[in-house]
Amino acid sequence: MTIRAPVIEITAAQKMFGSFQALSDINLSIEQGEIVTLLGPSGCGKTTLMRLLAGFEAVTAGTIRIDGKDCAGQPPERRPVNMVFQRYALFPHLDVFENVAFGLKVKGTPKAEIRERVQRMLHIVQLDSFANRYINELSGGQSQRVALARALVNGPKVLLLDEPLAALDLKIRQHMLVEMKRIHAETGATFVYVTHDQDEAMILSDRVVLMEKGRIVQVDRPETMYAAPKSLFAAKFLGETNLFEAAMASDDASGMTAVTGSGLRFHSSIVPAGELRGKAIVSIRPESFRFNRDNDTTQSATGQVEDVIFIGSRSFYTICLADGVRARVQVQRSTRTSLPKPGEKAEIFWDSENVVILPGS
Amino acid sequence: MKAPRSSMGSLLAAPAVLYMVVFFVVPSLILFVYSFWTAASYKIVPDFVFSNYLNSLMSPLFWTVTINAILIGLVTASITLVLAIPVGYYLVYVSRSQVILYLILITWFSSYLVRIYAWRTLLGTSGVLNTILIQAGIVDTPVGVFLFSRFAVAITLIHIYLPFCILLVVSSLSEIRKDIVDAARDLGASPLGAFFRVIAPNAASGLVGAFMLTFVMVAGDYVTPQMLGGSSGQTTGLLIADQFRKTGNWPLGAAQAFLMFLVSIVIYLAVMGIGRATGLVVKRRPARKAGG
Repeated sequence: MTIRAPVIEITAAQKMFGSFQALSDINLSIEQGEIVTLLGPSGCGKTTLMRLLAGFEAVTAGTIRIDGKDCAGQPPERRPVNMVFQRYALFPHLDVFENVAFGLKVKGTPKAEIRERVQRMLHIVQLDSFANRYINELSGGQSQRVALARALVNGPKVLLLDEPLAALDLKIRQHMLVEMKRIHAETGATFVYVTHDQDEAMILSDRVVLMEKGRIVQVDRPETMYAAPKSLFAAKFLGETNLFEAAMASDDASGMTAVTGSGLRFHSSIVPAGELRGKAIVSIRPESFRFNRDNDTTQSATGQVEDVIFIGSRSFYTICLADGVRARVQVQRSTRTSLPKPGEKAEIFWDSENVVILPGS
Repeated sequence: MKAPRSSMGSLLAAPAVLYMVVFFVVPSLILFVYSFWTAASYKIVPDFVFSNYLNSLMSPLFWTVTINAILIGLVTASITLVLAIPVGYYLVYVSRSQVILYLILITWFSSYLVRIYAWRTLLGTSGVLNTILIQAGIVDTPVGVFLFSRFAVAITLIHIYLPFCILLVVSSLSEIRKDIVDAARDLGASPLGAFFRVIAPNAASGLVGAFMLTFVMVAGDYVTPQMLGGSSGQTTGLLIADQFRKTGNWPLGAAQAFLMFLVSIVIYLAVMGIGRATGLVVKRRPARKAGG
């Protein structure tokens, strides 16, 4: 890979609304062609960060550089970015073609070129035959495609997407995610994608920027963030997990060990984000537990099956380990191995590379 | 109840229709019938003559005051709208505060007549404006043309009708979501460009409505011209009012009222025509069924 200057570089950015600190100490750089999602619960500042990039808000402190240029004081119309709005924000008085052509027309692009570029973009979003439709004649998915085309036709350095799928129903949402990836591949634009939906973030992103209360808590590839969350918030926000309160026991070359009050020992080989001492919280994903022993499995616990939920390809078990400490176990459906039944005793196994030890409170 | 859908609809609409018929259509028709009658010595005689219309149209006085009314109406309504739009924009998109709106409406609590007299005081030869001009050494003797002129009438009418126009602008802008303004900016339009390319076309019917309502009220106002218009600032409204109040010639007054009504329609069509030609007013197509 060649080393390029990042297309977006945010340094020590802060945003205050009156006395409310919406964003603090934001540092982030985004490379050309990446899909980066800003993920977090509502109110975490992700939309504010996007509006700072678009130019609708100004930073209170810090700098934002887009394509190498400091964009302080630059209004939205002068930034090389375009945005896809949450509820599309299509122009109701224009038809599909005119909506997509809007940006080019404002910039005084020659008519023939507008026609060609708009048609090419409508082709990419598969709306060739909808050019003369009015906005109120489109379905949600179609409106979404028009919004994408209207932004992308301008050839932005960065495409900003503000929860673009939030208004769509589940089935169309999944389809649009696939479409979004294809359109990204076809246009090669950099996507910055705001969402509160962890699935969207995981499916789409090259990197996930996880935000909480106006701060970035972790920036990682989705797989890494899922496997090695650096905070309790990250562990809980992405996917489902088992959390066990424990205390740090030992720390050696092979990793660390934490022990729960009931004597369960968890050994982790994941390098922790910070120093661990005293209280700790152990996080293990439900699918990291197994009922069968592997050759190199060293960790296990025995408990009683309390509950089984069968949902087709998978089953969820609730196992009561010792004094009321429960583990949720997810197993794939299998006809080969026999699985424990409710009320039976069961032994569960796990590996140290799936144990995440986080600082306790 | 097994009433068919259509008759159920008419039944539900009936109160509104009845209200309109009783309080609007019937009185207008009565006035329209009057306009073909004749008046003799303070009595109205049923008749069917066009003389009320013909006499009005051939009277130089009618044309003078009507042109005056149209000019004052157009200038006042245009300036009022231009002043109301930024305020409306601020109220709808920037402050989103009801307090400022109420403050604007509070100005209506002061009497219409008091405000007219206030302007007499401000614009008179010993008024505030002249005093300032003399003190500043810009003029030596008080300027008389401020008062009793079209200028005086226009400025007073703007002051009186601006809150009303702001209300109309606010209601037409509040139907337009802020994010399409953001989208226009994002796509390269300047703030003014976003207004003309996105807000104006979408608010067109509301803005034209605000303009026309202001125009109709201003052009028909007969108190301000009477108090501040002098001889050059008289309007058709005053002429019509005189037919009803002084000369007792109701048929002539009715005919002149209908001529003013026609003038308003012509101006409405002209405004819409200009709007269409400049692309600010777009005819929206009715929605077809959305495709899959």
